[in-house]
Amino acid sequence: MLIGISLVSFFIMHLAPGDVTSSEASFNPKASEESRQKLRELYNLDKPVIIQYGLWVKRIAQLDFGNSFASHQKPVLWERTDKSGNVTKGLIQESLPITLMINLLGICIIFSISIFLGTLSAVRQNTWVDRSITLFVFIGFAIPGFWLALLLMYWTGVSNQWLPISGLHSLGYQNLSGFGQFIDLLKHLVLPVSISSLSGLAGISLYVRNGMLDILHQDFITTARSKGLKESKVVFIHALKNAILPLITIIGLSIPGLIGGSVIAESIFAIPGMGKLFYDSVLMRDFPVIMGILTIGSFLTLIGNLLADVGYAWADPRVRKGLVK
Amino acid sequence: MKKNCLFSNFIAIFIPLIFIISCSKDTSEVIDYNGKFKNISGGNLINAMAGEPSNLIAMIAGDSASSAIAGNIFNSLLKYDENLNYAPDLAESWQISNDQKTISFKLKKGLQWADGKPLTSADVLFTWKLITNPNTRTPYASDYQLVKKASTPDSLTFKVTYESSYAPALDTWTSLHILPKHILKDEDINNTFFSRKPTGSSFYKLDEWISGQQVTLKANDKSVLGVPLINKLISRIIPDTSSQFLELTADNIDVMNINPIQYQRVFPARKDLRQKIALYKELGNGYTYLGFNLKKTPFNDIRVRQALNYAIDKDEVIKGVLLGLGEPISSPYKPGTRWNNPNLSPYPYKPSKALVLLQEAGFKKNDAGILMKNGKPLKFEIITNQNKQREMTAVVIQKRLQEIGVEVSIRVIEWASFVNRFIKTGDFDVVVLGWSLSLDPDQYNIWHSSQQGPGQFNFLGYSNKNVDKLLELGRKELNVSKREKIYHEFSKYLLEDSPIIYLYAGYALSAVHKRVKGVKNPAPPAGIYHNNYDWFVPKPLRRSEISAR
Amino acid sequence: MNIFLKNPLALSGLIIILTILILALIAPIIAPYDPSFIDINSILFPPSINHLMGTDGLGRDVFSRMLYGAQISLLVGFVAVGIASLIGVILGSLAGFYRGWVDSLIMRFVDIMLSIPTFFLILAIIAFLTPSIWNIMIVIGLTSWMGVTRLVRAEFFSLRQREYVLAAETMGSNHFSIIVKHLLPNSLTPIIVSSVLGIASAVLVESGLSFLGLGVQAPTASWGNILTDGKEYIQFAWWLSLFPGLAILITVLGYNLLGEGLRDVLDPKNKD
Repeated sequence: MLIGISLVSFFIMHLAPGDVTSSEASFNPKASEESRQKLRELYNLDKPVIIQYGLWVKRIAQLDFGNSFASHQKPVLWERTDKSGNVTKGLIQESLPITLMINLLGICIIFSISIFLGTLSAVRQNTWVDRSITLFVFIGFAIPGFWLALLLMYWTGVSNQWLPISGLHSLGYQNLSGFGQFIDLLKHLVLPVSISSLSGLAGISLYVRNGMLDILHQDFITTARSKGLKESKVVFIHALKNAILPLITIIGLSIPGLIGGSVIAESIFAIPGMGKLFYDSVLMRDFPVIMGILTIGSFLTLIGNLLADVGYAWADPRVRKGLVK
Repeated sequence: MKKNCLFSNFIAIFIPLIFIISCSKDTSEVIDYNGKFKNISGGNLINAMAGEPSNLIAMIAGDSASSAIAGNIFNSLLKYDENLNYAPDLAESWQISNDQKTISFKLKKGLQWADGKPLTSADVLFTWKLITNPNTRTPYASDYQLVKKASTPDSLTFKVTYESSYAPALDTWTSLHILPKHILKDEDINNTFFSRKPTGSSFYKLDEWISGQQVTLKANDKSVLGVPLINKLISRIIPDTSSQFLELTADNIDVMNINPIQYQRVFPARKDLRQKIALYKELGNGYTYLGFNLKKTPFNDIRVRQALNYAIDKDEVIKGVLLGLGEPISSPYKPGTRWNNPNLSPYPYKPSKALVLLQEAGFKKNDAGILMKNGKPLKFEIITNQNKQREMTAVVIQKRLQEIGVEVSIRVIEWASFVNRFIKTGDFDVVVLGWSLSLDPDQYNIWHSSQQGPGQFNFLGYSNKNVDKLLELGRKELNVSKREKIYHEFSKYLLEDSPIIYLYAGYALSAVHKRVKGVKNPAPPAGIYHNNYDWFVPKPLRRSEISAR
Repeated sequence: MNIFLKNPLALSGLIIILTILILALIAPIIAPYDPSFIDINSILFPPSINHLMGTDGLGRDVFSRMLYGAQISLLVGFVAVGIASLIGVILGSLAGFYRGWVDSLIMRFVDIMLSIPTFFLILAIIAFLTPSIWNIMIVIGLTSWMGVTRLVRAEFFSLRQREYVLAAETMGSNHFSIIVKHLLPNSLTPIIVSSVLGIASAVLVESGLSFLGLGVQAPTASWGNILTDGKEYIQFAWWLSLFPGLAILITVLGYNLLGEGLRDVLDPKNKD
């Protein structure tokens, strides 16, 4: 699978016209074509695609992700120390934690709100509560994210100055105490995280709702009810546990999204995450970075799927006891 | 009941939205920014840029963010003063030999790097060797490769000899940042920590660079050119211009470039913004044009090109796209500079004349009002890259040309594909593009007939023997007034041949917070940023660091 | 029809979609101006009797542009989903019917496509197809078929063992006719539901692409590019972003309500 992804993306990438020497900045009469040709040779961009791919695989086999073209030799993956002890951080090393932090926060919020809304919807099926929740989550899904983001930035940042508008840190945050820095970061994260969560609510909460509906009609729930257990206990302990089990698989499947980040949100909120890094690399035709992100991405996806399987097996007693294959 | 709740839900969502939009109350107390203030050093200046600098070694980086920041850290031998004349930077004086082939620069005394080491002519020689070294990954080497011999007779003198006299030579020495030999001599310039942790000689030095978020420069107390008044220059990286503008209106950034609508419409409508933000405009160093693929019919016919020039209303383009914030031009030079020929004027908007010229070229209107020649309509595609103003320009032109019976379609293309699929292969009809120009008038690379190879800049395929001759002459002539004549004549040929239709030279518009003092208004020819080391933020107006968001 | 009456949300979704479809179809009749008519003397006029939704940066009438933009945005949705469903149904049928190595090959391919960011594929494809509305549709279609494939495959898995399918097979019907006559009609429900939801996403994807400058290109109007133009002036020319923003919101909402309603109605589990 890793090979498949790398092969597909390598060829797509090289079929797209242009390379790193054709950026807008280099379209400048002071920059001569000969020197651009020289650059192409230095980066091996003049070789046939298949040979470039071979060279890339050879390096990757030694876990060498290479250096970025566009940011002039910043390492793609991990930091590098030169002989005099100067450290140059890797591009993915810098972006991935930011994106992960935002998306993990987002997913926690999505899941907790969705489970609540979904359950409530299912219990009150076809009442106005159910319908309002459905309407609400759909509006969250349907509203164009960047528009809402700008409106909220204006409202909370400009006219009321409750929250910072963009970026991750305030000016001079270094002078804050550790706790102050944490609060500062949280404040900066409120808008990006809530915008990205809003669009995710619809899918998960409907999933929980439908799962709950299925389960509430099953025999063991009827049994539990007939035993005289309180309805709340039936719903929240017996049914909910079973309904959220499949969510573990969803977490596994959402790993690519977790590390991918969102170009649009990251551009609007000026957050240097993976989405922006990837988008810029594509526009600059920065091949080592594109390949690096895709490879790391698919690698983590594989691990994610594996973990989801293991987690599901661990959580589902039937699988755990070997009753179900 | 159910319907009702549906309705109330809609209300619940939309009321806040409308509220958000309509509410623009001003919560900050009014501060008077207009008083008299003393220029005490200190404070900071925050600006916004769309992209992260790639590399602070300018000869290797190509992007504008990098050169903007590196320009505050490094010096060149020469610079332009506010009236765009050559002025000393590191060099105190310079002399051109009688045969016009040798230039010797005399450095100022007592120069030093930010780390305290002396800056000598050895550093200059080192830098020249670096940029002409074939292993250095720079696209800008060609100008410096013309230097046949470079030497350092003593520690304050740097001498270069050219093969033949080269008029743009001085200009090239205004843009080459001198790098420290003692740090870089054992480094691989293509791959060095120095690109993100530079040591320079100018007013500022790097304080902190948070990847993807901000680059902070602080005053370099070792700068022999003097210490700047503003203590810290902070450049925040905010990719989206709408977000940048929100930050500006919320007082969180001090300087940003704005667009004509913000300048002409938003600010006049918002008193609260005018009270705290000052606007500046200056003519930029570039122009936008419509260029023909001269190797294709019918654009190889001068009558067709001139006709289309008459058929486009440049004033309308300037009014519509730039809201009047641009100037019509008739030569490829900035209006008001000596290279601009004041006797030329743009083609006026005369659709009737256009039709006469097109008829001479063999085009006749058919019943549907379309111009036809040999059974084929006059029809072409304008391509441009993803640039809002260029897109809008193309739309306005399309409308005017359709009126006289020319069928025009528009295609907007992402930059890398644009260059590689269309420009390099010559597979296009008409482009709307812009050139931003250096201050030297030499445009050999753009207009000389020898510069038409793939990847070279005469991609329109222009060739005119007279122009070729003038361009060759202009490169060798060091006498300014003789040079002026040469380029005035060159502009005349260019206007007449009409290989491109000059559309406009737009104003560069900047918004600067009124807490920043010392900005020259009106902007000198070199622009408002020219004297940014003289800017200051008076103490009462400084933002307190931690409350600033 | 009475199934809709039981579900007010689905009904309102249907009404929204029909209204917008009709508005888009009669756009040439009701639009007061030519959507590309430039008037440099009426740049950025706020909404008024003459210009119901104001004018944009070139003095064009936003209301007319919205109406014509509706045509484009809806067309993008329909065609993109049509392409995605076609690919999805074909690959899903093959995987679900033949299983074995065909299935694993197709599902690996689906996995690969899912782990490559969509906009990267879109950018790459747009870069070497010449950009046009049709190519935007093709591209969105080519990058969103994976869900349908999985759905059809799963549906086929469960239908494959039903008696009537087995019977048809033993009677010697060829594979193609079994798929078309027996399997597909019975998996139609999820395909329809996912197509309706797919149109909603395609409209959103188009607006996202416009934000990145990769959507429908000027001078053609689409809701996405009108909204993107308007985002710069959210504090000043609010009409430039409010109307397209609401239009996208309501349309996507409409499709979602309709799709979800259809699912409820057509899903046998909810019959009781």
